[in-house]
Amino acid sequence: MTTVLAVSGLSKRFGHLVALDDASLEVAAGEVVAVLGPSGSGKSTLFRCIARLTEPDRGSIQINRVAYDGLKGRALRQARGQIGVVFQQFNLVRRRSACANVMTAALPSLPAWRVALGLYPPALRAKADDALASVGLAAQRNQRADTLSGGQQQRVAIARALMQDSCILLADEPVASLDPDAARLVLGLMRDLARSRGLGILCTLHQPELAAEFADRILSMEAGRIVSQGTCRA
Amino acid sequence: MPDKPSTPVAAPGRRLGFFLLLLGGVAFYALCLSVAEVSVPRLLEGLPRLGTWIARSWPPDLSELDVLVYRGLETVAMATVGVSFGALIAAPVCLLAARNTGISPLVALPARWLLNVLRGIDSFVFALIFVAAVGLGPFAGVLGIALHTAGSIAKLWAEAIEATEIGPVEAARMSGAGRLSVFLHAQLPDVLPQLSSILLYMWEFNVRASTVLGIVGAGGIGQELKNSVDLLLFDRVLTILLVILVMVTLIDQLSAWLRRRLS
Repeated sequence: MTTVLAVSGLSKRFGHLVALDDASLEVAAGEVVAVLGPSGSGKSTLFRCIARLTEPDRGSIQINRVAYDGLKGRALRQARGQIGVVFQQFNLVRRRSACANVMTAALPSLPAWRVALGLYPPALRAKADDALASVGLAAQRNQRADTLSGGQQQRVAIARALMQDSCILLADEPVASLDPDAARLVLGLMRDLARSRGLGILCTLHQPELAAEFADRILSMEAGRIVSQGTCRA
Repeated sequence: MPDKPSTPVAAPGRRLGFFLLLLGGVAFYALCLSVAEVSVPRLLEGLPRLGTWIARSWPPDLSELDVLVYRGLETVAMATVGVSFGALIAAPVCLLAARNTGISPLVALPARWLLNVLRGIDSFVFALIFVAAVGLGPFAGVLGIALHTAGSIAKLWAEAIEATEIGPVEAARMSGAGRLSVFLHAQLPDVLPQLSSILLYMWEFNVRASTVLGIVGAGGIGQELKNSVDLLLFDRVLTILLVILVMVTLIDQLSAWLRRRLS
């Protein structure tokens, strides 16, 4: 299978604290990889360093076999278009509709005046509607984000990532704020999307039972290091 | 029975420090009273004169009410145009000054310095300068209001933008969008009611403040007020004060209603 994400020797310190220590991993197209570990083990730092929302001190990151580390300015912005992200707190614009939030993914292709007025081209609207339909939220397209339930908000965030046509989806504790039923729904949806779209998914989780149920491989982290990994499903 | 927890007692050094601070504060206040030439005898001496003027102001002179209402509308117009010009100046500057819009400190620091200068000089002072530059009349007032208000609006807007959530910004950044698109899409919608509320408050404030701009020749009802006081026409002064009161109350109510709707 094609490797869509390859991380090697990724490290990050905050002062004296080693948050991430020589982390290396790979994610293949269509594969769901879960990262487990207690709070403070470095899962979120790993997620943020791979996304380059936090700059790593050392290490290399390749997306679709193209170097992602070291990119700056316009090149970094263009490369980010290949990475879908799902955050623990959904990170939706609360006063915008579900559809407008999904449209976030299309921002680089839109002029500023369209973004300011929320006037999106019909073709992009149709694509956003499709993305919302694929996560089961077609009926909520015009509903304001802050009026949706936690599970619905996270599904909008997944639709936002899908709209980007990315090859890799990074998810940081995507079900930490959800009840068990909503958590299963969201993880099941992510796994189905990985299978149907050949999307590689790297997902940090707290719950081993959910990781075992939905992931193809599990990596365990402790004190900033990846200490073990294994295949958990046939 | 368990002992009651003892109340911590301030150390002697800290008590002395507090006492010296208090003493310094009292001395400073006494100095201010002296420099401001506050004098109760002078107030008592002036009260009968004031009483005579109040008595002479009744009944109000309504013979030129149409002129005074027009001057009142001129004041509202000055404040409205001045605040709108100020907002146009403030919009780009607040983006440069806010700490979370990704602007380099090399640009942000001069932007904040400019805001402090604009806020530090009152619209009254700006109007005085513009009267000399562009001549008597409301246009000088508009320019004075615009410059001072630009500083105030930009500072308040920058603070409102700094208080927005970082999450949606990070999500928008991860799409590969540029700074302006990220701001317009992820920050502006959440902060727009606050920005509008600040703008309305500044409008309301400037309608009140610009009633005195006429004193320096910058147009509006303040000019009529100064002329009437100079000529000791107290019945006309009362009419002007009533026009100002009605005008300011109406603007306050309208602005408060709009701000309630926005929140």
